[in-house]
Amino acid sequence: MSDAIVLRGVTKRFNGTPAVSELSLAVPTGSIYGFIGPNGSGKTTTLRMIMRILLPDQGEIEVLGLHDSATARDRVSYLPEERGLYKKMTIRRLLRYYGRLKGGSLAGLDKAIDEWMERVGLPGLQDRQIETLSKGMSQKVQFIAAVVSNPELLILDEPFSGLDPVNAQVVKDAVLEMRRRGTTVVFSTHDMATAERMCDRIFMIFNGGKVLDGSLESIQDQYGADTVRLRTSGGALALAGMAEVEAVNDFGQLQEVRVAGDPQMFLARLAARTVVYHFEITRPSLQDIFVRIAKPA
Amino acid sequence: MRKILIVAQTEFATLVRSKAFIASVLLLPVMMVLSVGLTRATKRVSDDKDRTFAIVDYTGVLAQPLVAVARMFDPGSAFGGLRPGGPATSRFIPVEVSASTRQPDELRLELSDRVRKGELFAFVEFPANVLDPGGEARIQYYSDHPSYANLPTWLTAIANGVIINERFRRASIDRALVARLTKQASVENNGLFDRDASGRVQAAETVDNARAFGVPAAVVFLMFITIMSSGPALLNSVIEEKMSRISEVLMGSLTPFELMAGKLLGSVSVSIVLSALYVAGGLAGAQYWGGYASVVTLHLLAWFFIFLVMSILMFGSVFIAVGAACSDLKDSQGMMTPVMMLLMIPMFLCVPILRAPDGTMATVLSLVPTAAPFLMMLRISLAPGPPGWQIALSAALMAATTVVAIWAAAKIFRTGMLMQGKTATLTEMVRWVRA
Repeated sequence: MSDAIVLRGVTKRFNGTPAVSELSLAVPTGSIYGFIGPNGSGKTTTLRMIMRILLPDQGEIEVLGLHDSATARDRVSYLPEERGLYKKMTIRRLLRYYGRLKGGSLAGLDKAIDEWMERVGLPGLQDRQIETLSKGMSQKVQFIAAVVSNPELLILDEPFSGLDPVNAQVVKDAVLEMRRRGTTVVFSTHDMATAERMCDRIFMIFNGGKVLDGSLESIQDQYGADTVRLRTSGGALALAGMAEVEAVNDFGQLQEVRVAGDPQMFLARLAARTVVYHFEITRPSLQDIFVRIAKPA
Repeated sequence: MRKILIVAQTEFATLVRSKAFIASVLLLPVMMVLSVGLTRATKRVSDDKDRTFAIVDYTGVLAQPLVAVARMFDPGSAFGGLRPGGPATSRFIPVEVSASTRQPDELRLELSDRVRKGELFAFVEFPANVLDPGGEARIQYYSDHPSYANLPTWLTAIANGVIINERFRRASIDRALVARLTKQASVENNGLFDRDASGRVQAAETVDNARAFGVPAAVVFLMFITIMSSGPALLNSVIEEKMSRISEVLMGSLTPFELMAGKLLGSVSVSIVLSALYVAGGLAGAQYWGGYASVVTLHLLAWFFIFLVMSILMFGSVFIAVGAACSDLKDSQGMMTPVMMLLMIPMFLCVPILRAPDGTMATVLSLVPTAAPFLMMLRISLAPGPPGWQIALSAALMAATTVVAIWAAAKIFRTGMLMQGKTATLTEMVRWVRA
């Protein structure tokens, strides 16, 4: 299957400072592709270049098989990280406006608007003015604005940030629904658990360059099975001074430990120190890998 | 083009539904009705107090005639409506005060105290030599209401009438005869003779000041208020989209130029509707009250709308660029000052151009693109109008400037709309344009 997005050696500088350097990646059609990376690493700049809101200084970008992604705009929807709505418009007018800009017909859009409003739990509110909506309702309307034209490629910049758990689940379900319909979904996120659970492929950008790109399994394989998840009576204190412990991620009741050397030896030494209730040799979580890469030296 | 039209349609619908548009449609008629209504209403009630003033007459012959004339101008009397200083709604009551044995300054002080106590409104002195035709004596008026002009105006007209009468009497000359002999022949201001289609000579029409000056004033004023109502609306719309990050969503669907062009087109449509409403209302009113509708020709209307469209595009681009370069509405106020000056300066120049519409200054200024919508339109609406080549040159220069303004604004818009938290400096804006 062809790739929905291809970047080849893309570089973007602001006032001479590179925000993205020599970046290459390919997003398979029909996949959910996660963009992760610390703040300021170049995620939004990359997404804006894919949308042709910004133009790269070097390299080339191919979207839906077209080198000029401007011509693919009608087939691509974009939801920026910080987004607003026209306060004085009704939901229907706003969604019609966004949908028509993507080439939708009024009749088709009205049907899609009604369907999506129902799906996200806002049935019958189409004629409400935006300024009367709660924050959660507005966020769902913003999401509908991105999907109402039934795009082939959906690009979401931090789609779950600021959402309460209920609304976050509604949006996650909607993203999965879009994938089921055949839409390729690219989203950036700081929520590693969401990226692990939802994404077919994960891409990490750091200091403007690619540091990870692949399925969760392939990424975890690169880091080996050096992680132990354990629960002991001594908690994190019991790990103090142990030579095998390279790093501890303390969750209070549970610790995730990166172990140097043989885990069985580590278990034996730990059991001599404290009562071990749970000991699981596992691969590092995406959170752990992210921290390993992005943690200041 | 399809996307530009969608944006324009949405902008148009949003603007015409806004309270600001409804207010601007109603603003002019409401202001006119209010100004006329208030002027009429207040004329009747603003000066309803009788004003007693003292006359100190050192000539000994002026006070009595002045008292007699004052009664003639009382409200309800034959000359009440003709009273100098405005129609009579109150009485001026002169009271003669004898000055025979008093020191002038003592008397002035005493009368000033009476004014302060409210017994008198003012007092007036006629010096002894005021009747001397070769003298420089002046009537002295004293009051603690320096802004009240009705009584001094009345005194200037009436007292001088009495003084001149007395001078004629002393010279044994019949004033009425002199008046008849020195009556001026007035100049009647006419248009030109012409032939109609059948070859018959058509007499010239007398120039009607309402036609000659009313239409140019209305044309310039309408141009000004239409630009002023559309420009700030564009600025606010751009700042709203920038601050709430709507612009980034939109730029995911269309190019910055398409977005800007749609906004400009929407604004042009609203301006045309607004000015068409005013023109239609104005013509109906002019026809109803004075039969003046015919003075607005198709030629005038066509040029008005051509210059209006170019103005909205040119000034609208500038407003859009300012909006895109600013981080909030407050910052935009400072940047707007030079733009407002560009709009205001031609308005200040209207009066000198009205006096000499074919002069060098009028010709040159009406070719300046930022002034052309006001000053060239002013010249077009003043008969006989400028030569055709001047109108065409002015329109061509303005069209070229409009294209440059749109091009530069598009460059600023593209970068400015994505820049958050900081207002661009002029240097940065120049760099964006040159990039």
